[in-house]
Amino acid sequence: MAGRSFLERIYATSVGHGLARRAGLADPPVLLRGRVRPAGPIGLGTVTGGVLAERTLDVLGLVGTGPLRDEPDQQTRDADGRVRPPAYHARLGALVIDATGVRTIADLEPVRATLRPAMRGMEKSGRVIVVADDASAVEGLEARAVAQALDGIVRTVGKELRGGSTANLVTCGAGVGPEDLASTLSFLLDGRSAFVDGQVIRVRPRKAGDSPDDAYDPARPLSGRVVAVTGAARGIGAAIAHTMSRDGATVICVDVPQAGESLARVANTVGGSALQLDITVPDAGRRIAAHVVGRHGIDTRLWAIVHNAGITRDRLLANLDESRWSQVLRVNLAAQIAINAVLLDPAIPGGLAEPGRIVGIASTSGVAGNRGQANYAASKAGVMGLVRAMSEQLRDRPVTANAVAPGFIETDMTAAIPFVQREVFRRSNSLSQGGRPVDVAETIAWLCDPASGGIDGQVVRVCGQNLVGA
Amino acid sequence: MHVDLPELPDVGLHVFGAALPRSRPSATAGLPDVEVSVHGVAQAPGRLAAYDRLCGFSLRDLVPPTWLHVLAFPLQTWLMARADFPFPRAGIRHVSNEMTLLHPVVVTDRVDISVHWAGVRPHRRGVVFDVVSEVSVEGQPVWRGLSTYLSPGGRVPGEPAAPLRLEIPDAAVSQQWRLPADLGRRYAAVSGDANPIHLHPLTARAFGLPRPIIHGMWTHARALAALGGVLPQRYGVRVQFAKPLMLPGRAGFAATSDAGGSRFAVLNPGGAPHLVGELRPL
Amino acid sequence: MVSDRDGRQAVIVGGNRTPFVKAGTTFAEASTQDLLTAALDGLVARFGLAGRTVDEVAAGAVLKHSRDFNLTREAVLGSALSPHTPAVDLQQACGTGLETVVYVANKIRLGQADTAIAGGVDSASDAPIVVTERLRRALLAARRARTPVQRAMAFVGLGPADLAPVPPAVAEARTGLSMGESQALTTTRWAITREAQDELALASHRNLAAAWDRGFFDDLVTPYLGVTRDGTLRPDTSAERLAALAPVFGRGPGATMTAGNSTPLTDGAALVLVAERSRAAELGWPALARVVDAQVAASDYVTGREDLLLAPVRALPVLLERTGLTLGDFDLVEVHEAFAATVLATLEGWRREGLGDLDRARLNVNGSSLAAGHPFAATGARIVASLAKMLAERGTGSLGLVSICAAGGQGVVAILEGM
Repeated sequence: MAGRSFLERIYATSVGHGLARRAGLADPPVLLRGRVRPAGPIGLGTVTGGVLAERTLDVLGLVGTGPLRDEPDQQTRDADGRVRPPAYHARLGALVIDATGVRTIADLEPVRATLRPAMRGMEKSGRVIVVADDASAVEGLEARAVAQALDGIVRTVGKELRGGSTANLVTCGAGVGPEDLASTLSFLLDGRSAFVDGQVIRVRPRKAGDSPDDAYDPARPLSGRVVAVTGAARGIGAAIAHTMSRDGATVICVDVPQAGESLARVANTVGGSALQLDITVPDAGRRIAAHVVGRHGIDTRLWAIVHNAGITRDRLLANLDESRWSQVLRVNLAAQIAINAVLLDPAIPGGLAEPGRIVGIASTSGVAGNRGQANYAASKAGVMGLVRAMSEQLRDRPVTANAVAPGFIETDMTAAIPFVQREVFRRSNSLSQGGRPVDVAETIAWLCDPASGGIDGQVVRVCGQNLVGA
Repeated sequence: MHVDLPELPDVGLHVFGAALPRSRPSATAGLPDVEVSVHGVAQAPGRLAAYDRLCGFSLRDLVPPTWLHVLAFPLQTWLMARADFPFPRAGIRHVSNEMTLLHPVVVTDRVDISVHWAGVRPHRRGVVFDVVSEVSVEGQPVWRGLSTYLSPGGRVPGEPAAPLRLEIPDAAVSQQWRLPADLGRRYAAVSGDANPIHLHPLTARAFGLPRPIIHGMWTHARALAALGGVLPQRYGVRVQFAKPLMLPGRAGFAATSDAGGSRFAVLNPGGAPHLVGELRPL
Repeated sequence: MVSDRDGRQAVIVGGNRTPFVKAGTTFAEASTQDLLTAALDGLVARFGLAGRTVDEVAAGAVLKHSRDFNLTREAVLGSALSPHTPAVDLQQACGTGLETVVYVANKIRLGQADTAIAGGVDSASDAPIVVTERLRRALLAARRARTPVQRAMAFVGLGPADLAPVPPAVAEARTGLSMGESQALTTTRWAITREAQDELALASHRNLAAAWDRGFFDDLVTPYLGVTRDGTLRPDTSAERLAALAPVFGRGPGATMTAGNSTPLTDGAALVLVAERSRAAELGWPALARVVDAQVAASDYVTGREDLLLAPVRALPVLLERTGLTLGDFDLVEVHEAFAATVLATLEGWRREGLGDLDRARLNVNGSSLAAGHPFAATGARIVASLAKMLAERGTGSLGLVSICAAGGQGVVAILEGM
């Protein structure tokens, strides 16, 4: 961190740090990470008597307890005679609100009543999860307005919660059952979703043929499966390889030949294999497929492809030449379109399995644009368009296509930006910190879970509820 | 204050200044707020190779984290050579070291290095103070080291904290190392740390040691190399230096490993530790 | 033809090497063990072998320090392979790499191994420096001495000349001639022209550069110490440039061998993964080519009656006789380019042995040692890995021949068949 700015150095001194703390720049909370759930009980509230959340918890082997509600008979008065909501004695690890069936504005009041005691009653890295009907699954003006209202509530909860707690909304399309929802609820409950906050995740019924097989183990969901990760030699790509390997996958680590020993090291530490490949060459898809059958046998197909490889060539548009423009679009977007086309061909040995998973990496730059990144934002917004279009195209095949959009991730290329801007970035999200590569990796691993067939055509932001492009 | 140096300073020039008596500021006010940086340092493959060989690493594209300490060392020395450094440099001992490899570093990376003082605390035998060294590549922090030194006899206000002792692994000695008499000179040549206590019996005797002792950071590096095989991609490692290891000499290495990382120690024939350490994957 | 026990076949699964660079350059500080370990870890990564064992790793080096007596095992221990992987050091000068392939292939065919890694490494930069014979004896005597006086006496009689270090010579122990000087005798005897040598060298550079450009080496080479391509490759060389070079071996107007048509001293390591065919299929590995047969031979070069580097001329007829094949049967032929003149003399030798003319379009089609460089013991595995990949691209039943000459007047030839 040579060349630290003046402010940064002041902040690093104990005096400066104390001042900053008083100015509201508190030390960010330490986030719970990994396959670990908050320790406290899971409060389970329902609004109109929906049972989807309860049955989903049951699938996960979890039992919810009745949450406190801010209702007159539960309220107390403090020494000054003010009405206080009921208070939790033991802090909640998570609060799940089943808001399915919510159709009227009046139905929102129980949501408020359940949330109010929890706002001061969550443990650190606690979880608030609202399960609701998707707006597309309800009829009537008020019902659809109310569906959107929940969105506003949950995003606000995300911003008001402290101590690394998160709030997310899961909306369910018509016909969604507990098995469709389970992997998502499990992900949102535990530390894997540490940096996913204030997001809406749409679940729909899994397509025919997209169910986990009998050997499925939720603790090692990718066991016995082969996945490929591009750009795996460093950074987020290496973290994806590690996380998917932890989840049981055999990882094919792809990077340019020039990555050399860095790629070999990642492959060897995750017990996977290395494929030296420039993903922009015309036969890149075929080479990936050939590597799959050349390491795992002619009958093996790829469970998932994660298109993580990406480059930046930042210039203001006024200075942006054709070469910087096309390089970025070629690597970040065109290459994955071409590779997907090959891997989706059922006739090609080593192509994508059915069921199977495709994951792209978008960016908040793609969501909101970013000064000096017209080329990068184009490519990343393109990835978002791509996965949506693919999910339509793959309507009849049990393959999902999704993207994650990382926000400010520490040790990312973004760490090159100066201190103040970085601090502003850090402070401008609900968790008061940057994410880590593993947070992106965990989200990708969840999308690749055999039980995650209900998530398709979505862009999931891993941004700690960043203000940018919210 | 921030100082940007155009290149890594020549440590050798500072070594001779170490023994010169001079007046120093008081340490009670803490350490000066100085940070020193060098940008775009190219790593010399030849020197890395010599370092790897001397410490038992094989020469790979990925550099050992202890090598990054070697790169940062001239800046540490530069800070200590300044007139505002409150302790006599002769007699300073390296008592513990922590480093975190956040991101693998390859030999072709150009590194930015920055070093600053971190804190000063009382110790039952004087004063300990910390130096933080940070290395980044293209703006991305890749390595961070915390070196803790003891200045014997020094004083600062406060009570010494109870010393934290790393646990010696419960394992039999699995390696025996023979340290030749010239090891200190050879390590001095590749590391730039030419403290006379490491070089020769005569120079060591001038500082009250019967024989020269090997650099703690050599022992640290050698222990890391001894863990062998595949170290994690990213990890933290910390070591405490106990008894000095005299040259020429012999030492044993013992280690235990599990999913949570490794514990290791470098021991004398009687089983007393020269170095105790632990390594955890990130 | 040698019959395989119980139908067992040894197949080449793939390979990995470091880029090769001229000695004394980028890899100058890397030891042979460093290079071999790097090549090994690259192979381990390419085939997902981390933490796993193979039944044996066989490799060697020509220039070897005495501390490296267990070079290959030490490299295994420094690699990501399981420490339960056994290893052996083998050496037959420049034939080492190919001989290790033959060794593990034979073990596999006999049922003594199912999976193995074979290859070699050399670093002319890390060559051991030896003390003079008199000093060596004095040092040994001093070690045996029991008193300081005895120890001192051990060194009496040594002169200053005895204290100078002795660098290794790439010279034949029995003739005192360097490899280039020996080849210069052959070149003259076989009347190999300068033009023919330069033409072969040019083709080697062009072929190798084209192979690099089309990504042929993407799955055969792992970059090391920032080097991503072979350092001796000159993609832009031309007949004119080669013709302008002054001869470095031989004397007088007949001297035709230049730095352009001779291989430089080179650093590098190369390995191939070999497996029993059905085992490879079980593991999901590709079978690029099978090792059909091999033959080694030696020439009587000491008397000057025969040529140091033309033992393959003796080896190939034996191999063809046993396999019932002819030179024309081979789709691809790899003749190690120690010197351009060696290759040309070898081809002429085969012709005189009645094996016929080799179609030059089948010779070293992706370049060879003149362009890639020649780390002695690594060359065999470089050639086998590349040839196996080329044969796999050509298809089942395609035939490839490897011919390597070695110091000591030895030569190894081997046949691979595309799977």
